[in-house]
Amino acid sequence: MSLLERYLTKLVKNPTLLGTNLFTPLLFLVLFSQLLTKFSTFLPGQSGGYLAYLTPGVVMLNAMIGAPQGGVSLANDLNSGFLSKMLLTQVVRPAILLGRLLTDMFVTVIQSIITIVVAVAMGVTISSGLPGVLLMLLTAAFFEFALSGVFLTVGIRTRKTETISALSGVLFFPLIFISSAMFPVSFFPDWAQTVAKYNPVSYASDVTRDLVVGGLTVNTFVSAYLLIGIIALASFLATLYQFRKVIS
Amino acid sequence: MPDIIDVQNLVVVYPDGTRAVEDISFNVKEGEFFGFLGPNGAGKSTTIKTLTTLLRKASGRVSVAGYDLDKSPKEIRKSIGVLTQETSLDVDLSGWQNLHLQGRLQQLHGSILDDRIKELLKLVQLEDVAKKSAGRYSGGMRKRLDLASALIHKPKLLFLDEPTTGLDTQSRAAIWEYLEGLNRNEDITIFLTTQYLEEADRLCRRLSIIDHGKIIADGTPWELKEAIGGETITLTLTDASLKSRTMDILKSIAGISNAMVSDSGVVAYAKNAGQIIAEVITTLDRNGIRPSFLSIGSPTLDDVFLRETGRRIRADELSRRETEPFLM
Ligand SMILES: Nc1ncnc2c1ncn2[C@@H]1O[C@H](COP(=O)(O)OP(=O)(O)OP(=O)(O)O)[C@@H](O)[C@H]1O
Ligand SMILES: [Mg+2]
Repeated sequence: MSLLERYLTKLVKNPTLLGTNLFTPLLFLVLFSQLLTKFSTFLPGQSGGYLAYLTPGVVMLNAMIGAPQGGVSLANDLNSGFLSKMLLTQVVRPAILLGRLLTDMFVTVIQSIITIVVAVAMGVTISSGLPGVLLMLLTAAFFEFALSGVFLTVGIRTRKTETISALSGVLFFPLIFISSAMFPVSFFPDWAQTVAKYNPVSYASDVTRDLVVGGLTVNTFVSAYLLIGIIALASFLATLYQFRKVIS
Repeated sequence: MPDIIDVQNLVVVYPDGTRAVEDISFNVKEGEFFGFLGPNGAGKSTTIKTLTTLLRKASGRVSVAGYDLDKSPKEIRKSIGVLTQETSLDVDLSGWQNLHLQGRLQQLHGSILDDRIKELLKLVQLEDVAKKSAGRYSGGMRKRLDLASALIHKPKLLFLDEPTTGLDTQSRAAIWEYLEGLNRNEDITIFLTTQYLEEADRLCRRLSIIDHGKIIADGTPWELKEAIGGETITLTLTDASLKSRTMDILKSIAGISNAMVSDSGVVAYAKNAGQIIAEVITTLDRNGIRPSFLSIGSPTLDDVFLRETGRRIRADELSRRETEPFLM
């Protein structure tokens, strides 16, 4: 718990970081929904038009932006010797990882709430109501958790924050844009549709979207949670493996 | 007095094959101020990291604070305080927050923790800047804050890895005073590493001199210097090619117990250097050797190092390279 406190205090002391991380999603939300108004006509039978389509994608964008933070922080702690210092205390060692993971999930949830509030203010109605919003937040946090393991693994292994930035830069745009997060996949050429079909960002966005516009099926839900769950498990095990190597 | 640290035949090998610590044995008694003196790369940090459970040993038997290193690393961590070579603070947090975090990680809470923080801030004289970000502290202030955080859980045994390296004289003197106070008044056993002769000489009741992963001499500072035998006569020669001939000539002079080539010239040892100095000068002169500088002094720990290794420790007191990242 005290570690959670540490990370949150650090965040509060660096408000610019929080600001920048929130800026991109909100920019996308406002910019795309205001520029691409004509998209709504291509979305027959969907309530709320393109803004409603976009909102869930932007929530997932928050999760994707939050994911590399843990890896950066752990690489920094490894290099500064702060990790050694923590290892020398009586704190149980898994708590060092857990504290970091929880912080980033928490931040993702806060950012997602802000995103949803802005979207609602712009006129989106969440068809599934409050339970739906909670499930959206849970999905965002879960997706963030699944992705953060990738960056934690890289961060511990390389101890270089630049590697993490580079990796997230390389992954970020293809993953977000060649998925159903921002634009309907039916607009894409065939190859991109295929990519989007297997892109986990699509799965996470689709579940969340059904919560906004309605019509969530068990099938969509199960396949999304299964896929995110598999990524989460794999990346968490990889993180654990690297972490144990460092602390032993 | 029981041994609070007991190390037998410790060997530490890094994954890349570097044998950083090569079969060292030593012990530290409860309440002692004990030191490792050695140059860059001697194996000081490696030893401390191993003893404090951060690094795995290849072989040997180690007990710290009454616990076996292999069997009870957790108990060892509970009993010790560690000041790592690189100052490890969270620069985003204030001095107070750093101590608070450290206290919480050491399972302290509430008013007990608050009181302890106050006490420590007073000890290291950082009360006035407690609310300021540690990132805005000077090097000396950071080291003092780090020292305070190592003490938060009242350890009986304190490991200090080069606590004053890179600090200005004033900060160094302040740290020395805190450390002497902790050892004397609070009965904390201290294991310190240093590359400063003066620091080892002043603080340590007993020390080991370490080089290339091996202990090359140990004892009290007085014993170590006494073993040199008398005073030192230091000669500086501008012509390096004359060094070994000068050494041979000096050795042949009655009253000189030993002579050695050093980096800038030759050092000779004699019981009563003052009485034979005239003869030293005339003998050298007769052989056509004119030292550019000559001095007589009491032996230092550097002379001990020179005798054992043929080199000087010569830690450059002001400029030092940046330290490498801590941990494995
Ligand atoms: N992670 C590592 N991997 C491989 N070799 C290492 C590692 N860390 C240190 N060494 C080597 O082990 C030897 C001892 O290093 P150590 O850090 O213990 O020296 P030291 O006495 O603390 O020196 P300094 O005064 O510079 O801090 C050196 O030769 C060093 O290069
Ligand atoms: Mg060192």
